[in-house]
Amino acid sequence: MPSIVRAEKLEKVYRVGKVDVPALRGVSLDVNEGDFVAVMGPSGCGKSTMLHLLGGLLTPTSGRIIVDGEDLTASSDAKRTDIRRRKIGFVFQRFNLFPTLTAEGNLRLAERIHANGAEDPDRRREILRLLRLEDKMHHKPLELSGGEQQRLALARAVVNRPAIVLADEPTGNLDSENSSIVLKMFQELNDRFNQTIIMITHNPEAAAACRRIIQMRDGHIL
Amino acid sequence: MDSLVTSNIRQRPLRSIISVLGVALGVALVMVFTGLAHGMSNDLQRRSANVRAEIIFTRPGSIELTSSSTNLSTKYVELLKQIDGVESAVPVIRYFYPSGSFGLDQVEGVDWDGFAKMNNIHLVAGHAPRALDEIVIDEMKASRNHPVGSMVKLFGDKPYRVSGIYSPESGARVKLSIESLQNALEAPGKCTYVLVKCKNPADQVAVARRIDQQYPGNKVQFTRDVFTSVENSIPSLKIFLRVLVALAAVVSALVVMLAMHTTITERTREIGILKAMGASRRYIISEIEREALLISAMGLVLGFVLAAGAGFFIHKTTGLIFEFGWLWALVAGAIGLLGGALGAFYPAVRAANLDPVNALAYE
Repeated sequence: MPSIVRAEKLEKVYRVGKVDVPALRGVSLDVNEGDFVAVMGPSGCGKSTMLHLLGGLLTPTSGRIIVDGEDLTASSDAKRTDIRRRKIGFVFQRFNLFPTLTAEGNLRLAERIHANGAEDPDRRREILRLLRLEDKMHHKPLELSGGEQQRLALARAVVNRPAIVLADEPTGNLDSENSSIVLKMFQELNDRFNQTIIMITHNPEAAAACRRIIQMRDGHIL
Repeated sequence: MDSLVTSNIRQRPLRSIISVLGVALGVALVMVFTGLAHGMSNDLQRRSANVRAEIIFTRPGSIELTSSSTNLSTKYVELLKQIDGVESAVPVIRYFYPSGSFGLDQVEGVDWDGFAKMNNIHLVAGHAPRALDEIVIDEMKASRNHPVGSMVKLFGDKPYRVSGIYSPESGARVKLSIESLQNALEAPGKCTYVLVKCKNPADQVAVARRIDQQYPGNKVQFTRDVFTSVENSIPSLKIFLRVLVALAAVVSALVVMLAMHTTITERTREIGILKAMGASRRYIISEIEREALLISAMGLVLGFVLAAGAGFFIHKTTGLIFEFGWLWALVAGAIGLLGGALGAFYPAVRAANLDPVNALAYE
């Protein structure tokens, strides 16, 4: 399997006032196409920082990140945004949907950003069907349950066929029943579309749904 | 329409309404003031155009835009008629007085028969003023509920009866007999100016020269120079209008800027999500600008409606005439849209430059 995400000796130091706070201390990572990876570790170990670096939302203090053949660390801010637009889908713990738009509107917005206005209604319908949201298309996020909102967020992340999906504790705000449903959806996307997924989680059951588990501590991968 | 722009406007109706009103205020201000200035100017020009005399003979400084003196002897009327090239001469008193409804009002005291004949004016109802308390009014004044026989108060509270209605409009809308106005002003034998009609209008320069030579120390003016537009008569009016337009633009821009600044603060997290989704700076700026432009366009429409309503209301209550011009409508439109676009630009750039991780963590 070819590597789709490669991180080499990643270091990230935050400057807080006059104090340097290291978050990552030389992390190296290879994720192959079609992997479903769980990243686990205690709070403050650098999981979210690593996810943000892999998604191009942050720049590392040192090290190198290659996503689907493109070097994020050598790219300008505009280029990183472009790579994110074309190759990366995010799923957040707090769903982060647009409350003023319907479910369909949220997906269409993602399509418009991805393809400069072009839309793919067939793909949208396929994803909504897979995530069992076809009958919720015209509902606004607040009219959906937590599980449905997270499925919608997942639909938004994958609607544009990204190379990787980065999920930051996607079941953190869900009860066990909805967590289970959402995890099954992740698995189905991984199985059916060979979707590469990197998921941060504190939940061992969620991690068990993944094909590979990475443990982190104090800015290192164990 | 399921777009971020329209849904945001709908989602925050109070903010949207205040923004729309802010833009509308700027647009309405421009339209009302320019409409009033043009309406008054054109009204004065229309009325002045119906004065057929070519020359005005008066004392220096006797006629200003909003004041006049009654210090010219009426004996000049007969003297002027004797000058070669003069067909007729009629005395006129123009008097300005404080009006109850709007600033100043004016009346004219005329020798009706001579004045009407010189200026091709005729009565469409009633008769010429005969008694000292009778007046004639033009059709515009009559249309404001002043039929023949009705009473009109002049000079504050002095009642006068409408004896006739004349057409076309010319000079002041209310005319008394010259004796009546001389009596009211306690200026017997005096007038403000004498209108001089030439036998041949093409000779007016030569006739004016002869009058000036015969009666030096007075002022001989051509009608065409005296009754110019209000805009030209008040040199600072154009500057005033431009300043007003600039102020309206600033008001529109500030209102939209404040609204957009507030909305971006409210939507910091959403902007973070957009950035995480790969929205470029240009995309974020264009979304915010589109929202501002939509608000501005709504403000523009409302502003035009408000201006038309205000013009109608002011005309009905004060008689002032509004004339809305396409050019100023375009200027007002440009102010509304450009003001909105410029006002939103700084908040839009600020939003586009937000750090995505901080924006996503925003509560």
